[in-house]
Amino acid sequence: MPQIRLEHVTKRFEKFIAVDDLNMVIEDRDFITLLGPSGCGKTTTLRMIAGLETPTEGRITIGDKVVFDADKGINISPAKRDIGFLFQNYALWPHMTVYQNIAFGLENLKWKKEDIKVRVQEMLEMLKIEEFVQRYPAELSGGQQQRVAIARTLAPKPQVLFMDEPLSNLDAKLRSEMRTELKRLHSDSNSTFVYVTHDQLEAMTLATKVCLINKGVLQQYEPPLTVYKRPQNLFVADFVGNPTMNFIPAKLEKKGKGYDVEFLGVKAHFKPNEAFDAGDREVVLGIRPEFFTITDSGKIHALAYSTLPAGMETTVKVMLNGELISSVVFGAIDYKVDQPINCDIIGNQVCVFDKESTNLIGQGSLEVQ
Amino acid sequence: MATSLKKKMFRVRDFFSNPANIILTVTVLVLGFFTLYPLILLLIDTITVNISDLLYPELMGKRVGSFTSFHWKRMLFSDVSSTYFWVPLKNALLMSTLASVIAIIYGGTVAFLITRTDIKAKKFVSSVFIFPYIMPSWTIATFWKNFFQNPDIGNYQSGMLYYLTKIKVPESFVYGLVPCAIVLGLHYAPFAYILIGGILRNMDANLEEAATILKATRARIIKKITLPIVLPALLSTFLLVFSSSMSAYAVPQFLGGTSGFTVLTTTLRQFINSGWYGQGYIMAIFMIVFGLAILGINQYVTSSRRSFTTVTGKSGQISYIKLGVWSNILAVIIVLLCLFFSFMPLVSFALESCTVVPGDFSKLTLKFWIDPGYPLNNGIHGLFYEPQVWASFKNSLVLSISCAFFAGTFGILIGYAVAKRRGSRLAKTADNLAFLPYLMPSMALGAAFLAIGMKTGLSKTMTLLILVGSIKYLPFASRSGINAMLQLSGEIEEAAVIVNVSWWKRMLRIIFPIQKSTFISGYLLPFTSCMRELSLFTLLSSGSIYLMTTLLEYWQVWCDQSANALNLLIVVTVLAVNLLINKLTGASIDKGVGG
Repeated sequence: MPQIRLEHVTKRFEKFIAVDDLNMVIEDRDFITLLGPSGCGKTTTLRMIAGLETPTEGRITIGDKVVFDADKGINISPAKRDIGFLFQNYALWPHMTVYQNIAFGLENLKWKKEDIKVRVQEMLEMLKIEEFVQRYPAELSGGQQQRVAIARTLAPKPQVLFMDEPLSNLDAKLRSEMRTELKRLHSDSNSTFVYVTHDQLEAMTLATKVCLINKGVLQQYEPPLTVYKRPQNLFVADFVGNPTMNFIPAKLEKKGKGYDVEFLGVKAHFKPNEAFDAGDREVVLGIRPEFFTITDSGKIHALAYSTLPAGMETTVKVMLNGELISSVVFGAIDYKVDQPINCDIIGNQVCVFDKESTNLIGQGSLEVQ
Repeated sequence: MATSLKKKMFRVRDFFSNPANIILTVTVLVLGFFTLYPLILLLIDTITVNISDLLYPELMGKRVGSFTSFHWKRMLFSDVSSTYFWVPLKNALLMSTLASVIAIIYGGTVAFLITRTDIKAKKFVSSVFIFPYIMPSWTIATFWKNFFQNPDIGNYQSGMLYYLTKIKVPESFVYGLVPCAIVLGLHYAPFAYILIGGILRNMDANLEEAATILKATRARIIKKITLPIVLPALLSTFLLVFSSSMSAYAVPQFLGGTSGFTVLTTTLRQFINSGWYGQGYIMAIFMIVFGLAILGINQYVTSSRRSFTTVTGKSGQISYIKLGVWSNILAVIIVLLCLFFSFMPLVSFALESCTVVPGDFSKLTLKFWIDPGYPLNNGIHGLFYEPQVWASFKNSLVLSISCAFFAGTFGILIGYAVAKRRGSRLAKTADNLAFLPYLMPSMALGAAFLAIGMKTGLSKTMTLLILVGSIKYLPFASRSGINAMLQLSGEIEEAAVIVNVSWWKRMLRIIFPIQKSTFISGYLLPFTSCMRELSLFTLLSSGSIYLMTTLLEYWQVWCDQSANALNLLIVVTVLAVNLLINKLTGASIDKGVGG
């Protein structure tokens, strides 16, 4: 039922612009992640939708209710927006037991005592924290506190759930466990999730749509795999993916339907997937490490600078004419230092970014000559 | 057998090759001696016959120094015990309770307004509000007297209010329980403000936001979330203000006098003055027991199961409660209150010191400040030409500098050693012992050192004053020393140890420079506290070494204008030194609260 709509939302702190003219629509039952480096405005965006922060300009609609409108002076309190909010530091009340923490929101809704008891029990079972019900937050581990916070947030059955880096205080193992749980929770609870993170892996694996923000400006707002495969600009390309995409400066020269390219002493022909007219210009080629392969038949001659086998896959840092390029190979290999290797560039997802504007010009395949 | 002895010797040598261990051992021995020994002396004196006790018919013919239970009996179970003990105790309890309540309500409200609402003039209020706490404790008391005095009561002079409006305030509002409690409450309100404000400021704003989102009303949030979380701090403030008020001496001395309002401290003072040490010391022991009990309760309160644990996170984004028109109205009220209790005392002292006839502001003169000539009608020269003033100024300065030097230096060393050996039993003992003087009521500690002085022949010497001052203010310095050192990772020093830098050089070239400002405040806090201290020194210096504060106490009784002039001089000196500290070290007493 609720669709969240942000129109021209801007937030200024004195002179600093935290969020700049943000427009986006979050569809019902979406799992949206707001992704970006720290200080990029993602938390501010979330807090503005929740009503914890007042935008300087713009309009926010949840469902068919305008909850904020700078021009009309509408600003509905967070209590009346029917939302849930999971804080990064959990914000559990230290003086209340687990039970009291979870029941608090239901008491505010004037639920009957028995109903509260039933619902709290339900939440405790769902999050597997029944045994801690009489404990105080200080007596729980980080992961347990996290679960209590989730239970407290979900207990009143909010239609929209906002989460502000909820997993960042947990250790790696627990984090991946909770990620799985959150994804299930999303499909079980039938609510819309908006999730702030600076961890691209988290954003990619959880979301139905990723919203990338940098310096308060929306960069790309698309499903995670689209973001990965077709990044709109250098920032997105660089931020998403691990190891990061290789960026190689090059010069395009029009040749037939495609372009001749030269980079790091390699000559190649670029065949665009969809024709574009860029003329002759300076560009940056973006090649994902998995498309820069190491094969005996490869025409690019380079040296293995260092090899980082992780078991399932191996990251090889390749030295090509004085520049380092990452390559990811499936399986475990171990090259000697400075061992000569042959490489190739495969697939049709090589990106061409404009050097000036850093925007994506087009995608295609590279044929090394 | 021989090898095990050798091993033991080796272990002892190894233990003492670490400077931290030497410092800790010396600390424990010296402080242990100076806290336990005077207490034992106090106890012994309460059961021995003193020379002046021979005036009591019950003790007539007894040998001086022989044991007797007379003091305890007379103090607790005789027909005079009500006047000498139970009434002062009841008064002290009442006064302290009222003062704590006033301090918490006034200070806590201002702290809440500053940290949680969009009230105007935050900067001004947060810097001026703490003035009364920086100023000597009797400042507001003397101002109160100057302001509300009328010709029917007290010293039969007219005060400012009476002079301007002819309003005669009832005596019970000028002298006795009520004004003492109010004045102490006002003096400690900034303290409550700092403690409560600190908690409110550090309290994760998310805790309240979480409740907002779960649809709790403002009132319910304050009642169910904010207050319970602040409660330990509130209780702790209550207890600290209570125990400070219990040992307050200057205020009840200045405002209790003519109405016969006595508390433990003022009665103790009378006993000692009369040479009835045994009974005075019983009082001192009671005060120490009270102080320790209160701090024990405080320890218990602040370390309970539900205690406040801070989970670090981003919570800088506080949304202030919008007060609307009230943000201006409340601001005006608080600014006026601040001005009245922070600046009016200075104005009042200045004016009073310039009157020809005390309380009559129609004719003003500067002769009590600058007349070098023949002693004025109260037997004192103009302030700047009065030898007593200069002598006491010199004494105060020497005393303060010495105390600051000893307390500050030992504080740093203790801080260093405790941080180095943190967790060990020795470090904990040294830490607790260094903090113990803070729990001792000043007056009682003074009494204890009086006992030492009489045993060792040090009484009425500067050495004794320096000793008691250094020990009393050691906690300030050792606290800041420990805090500074705990922030410093041990690796910083270890990096120097590896390249073979000697201990002295490590201290002087690495550790001190890094934590300079904290260490300096460890020196300056004892200095300013010493400059304005009265109750600690009043027993020890009476009739021998005049300090500025004890001179004021003495003048207060019979030379009004000169006392006011001296008062102004002390308050301004203290404020100036504090300002200097702020400027020099950036360390301000209200750090972490401001607007």
